[in-house]
Amino acid sequence: MEKAFIILFGLTMLYFASTSRIISHIRLLVGQGILLFLIACYSFGHLSLLDSMFLTAETLIAKTIIIPWFLYKVLRRTRSNRDVSPTIPHFYCLLISSLVLLAGFLVANYWITPLKMISPLHFGVAFATIIISLWLITIKHHIISNVIGFITMENGIFLLSLSIAKEMPILVNLGVLLDVFIAVYILGLFVNVINKEFNDLDVSHLSELKD
Amino acid sequence: MIATILIFPLISIILMAIFKNKKFDNLMLNACGIVHFICTLFLVFTNNCANTSYFGVDDTNKIFLLILSFVFMLVVFYNNGYVKNFKLPQEQIRNYCFMTIIFVLSMTGTLLSTNLGISWILIEATTLSSAYLIYFNKTKNAIEAAWKYVFICSIGIALAFVGIILLNISTESINSLNFNVLYTHAATFNPFWLKLAFTFMLFGFGAKMGLAPIHFWLPDAHSESPSPISALLSATLLNSAFLVIIRIFKIMEIAHVTDYARLMLLIMGFVSIFVTAVFIYHIKNYKRMLAYSSIENMGILAIGTALGGSAILAVVLHLIGHSLAKASFFLTSGNVLELFETKRIKSIKGLSIADGKTAWLWILSFLAICAFPTSLLFVSEFIIIKNMIMNEQYILCVIFVLLLTIIIYGMGKVVMKMAYGELSEDKKELVELNREKLSAWMYIPQIILILLVFILGVYIPPFLSEIINKAVIGF
Repeated sequence: MEKAFIILFGLTMLYFASTSRIISHIRLLVGQGILLFLIACYSFGHLSLLDSMFLTAETLIAKTIIIPWFLYKVLRRTRSNRDVSPTIPHFYCLLISSLVLLAGFLVANYWITPLKMISPLHFGVAFATIIISLWLITIKHHIISNVIGFITMENGIFLLSLSIAKEMPILVNLGVLLDVFIAVYILGLFVNVINKEFNDLDVSHLSELKD
Repeated sequence: MIATILIFPLISIILMAIFKNKKFDNLMLNACGIVHFICTLFLVFTNNCANTSYFGVDDTNKIFLLILSFVFMLVVFYNNGYVKNFKLPQEQIRNYCFMTIIFVLSMTGTLLSTNLGISWILIEATTLSSAYLIYFNKTKNAIEAAWKYVFICSIGIALAFVGIILLNISTESINSLNFNVLYTHAATFNPFWLKLAFTFMLFGFGAKMGLAPIHFWLPDAHSESPSPISALLSATLLNSAFLVIIRIFKIMEIAHVTDYARLMLLIMGFVSIFVTAVFIYHIKNYKRMLAYSSIENMGILAIGTALGGSAILAVVLHLIGHSLAKASFFLTSGNVLELFETKRIKSIKGLSIADGKTAWLWILSFLAICAFPTSLLFVSEFIIIKNMIMNEQYILCVIFVLLLTIIIYGMGKVVMKMAYGELSEDKKELVELNREKLSAWMYIPQIILILLVFILGVYIPPFLSEIINKAVIGF
């Protein structure tokens, strides 16, 4: 069952690549949060109670509720819904993301020798998620889209850290810190400040400084 | 002493929050600078410092700590003159002092930490605290710079975290991020995963260090932040990230996978110098020019580390020389900005007429940074070039010298154009008014820094020489 959740998590990235409505991206973030919680449940047996509680709070509260709710609020306030002028047509976005995901599966299964408790599936999906997210950040023009790209990348990293949670729970806790960092700083301060100053959240406004 | 250096800033922040007094804020900032320096002297020059489980001094970080502490103290002194010219509410100035202290505290923690996880968290903390300082002027450009800084560095930090996870995978049975434990067992690590981990960590921490091609935040952040903060960013923050890279490189060295690590560092180093040479040629903003120069010097550090051998001594010397010279350069750029109220190179002429002392500091800082003998940077760059020739890397050597020459020409052109020439009539009035803003605090730190750079080029006192030699062995 854990594998099914991981595959579902990988498929959410394809949906991300093929849509431009920010509201559906936020809904998908909720979905990713729940999936990460379900995947995390499988490592609870090996962890201390405190670590398990920490993981639950992180995945269910921070990832599933707080961050998407915050993004939704920002979205409402800025009245922006569709990501304007994506650089590449959706079909190609979907195609490239699928290829990256496929490459993730293939590389993880046939090329590298897995160590520790890492299953190739965990590794492949996590890496494909990180790469797709980084790529999506570069082609999107809206700050909220960029932030969502960053959060999905962070979700991918979290998935990777979950795979070694049994041996080193401290790493997962470090990953949680990264989440808090985004929630507090990037969302809380900068998105609001940028919106106030520029009355818009298009990245093209932020291109004054150059040589 | 480690406790004092880490706790004193926290106490001063609390006291500042309680007393809420303008003079007291400044006093505490000065006290932080001086206490930090005294503690550092104790930590560096006495051997009886009790290391805690997560923080400690060793041969490698001593020199970094000394540089941070010394530059911080002088920046704080400069700040005494600089803060007087702020026309801002007291609350905002207090936040500035707060954040400066937290910024330096997180850098100190990064340098002292003996655990990769703690270093990673504290590098993240430097981003948090310095982003506010970059955004301090609250202009549109400052927001843009701060946003790019936070976003790029966050991605860097996230990638570095992937590197840490991969490093943990490569260690097989060792579940610790303590540097000493990692060094002890490094020979048993899986080379494939270790190489992958190094790539991610180099890109992650390299983003913070300002290595090309992930340097895009650096010119924006350095040019938009207040000048004392630019000096701290360039002279100390970049070093902190470099220390983490050095420590990871050491793991690679012990695990015998240095060829790969050296190649990566060499490529990034040369790309950094190349990027600087390309951009500095048509630069329009003098603070951005200094920022690009930082990218260049970080590139030289990466190249020196990659070359190894005698070049390691050059790296340590370059680290010291660059931090001192660049701090002086950025602080002087603060004086220029106060005088002319613009960062555009085109709008500035006749600095020597406007203010002779600033003009001299401006030119001397340039000479120090462009490795004019007897600058310490001359010695370090000379050793690197000699190392390349001894290793028969002639092509690398030619490219290195050529790129450095282009950079020196680009910078020299700007510095001379700004320093000499006639002062236009409209600027004369402005400069007359603004000259009174420059107090003695805004000259003395740079004089000390420049004097040191030029003296250390010919004479390194034995106590410092010992620290440098230990650092070379510890690298």
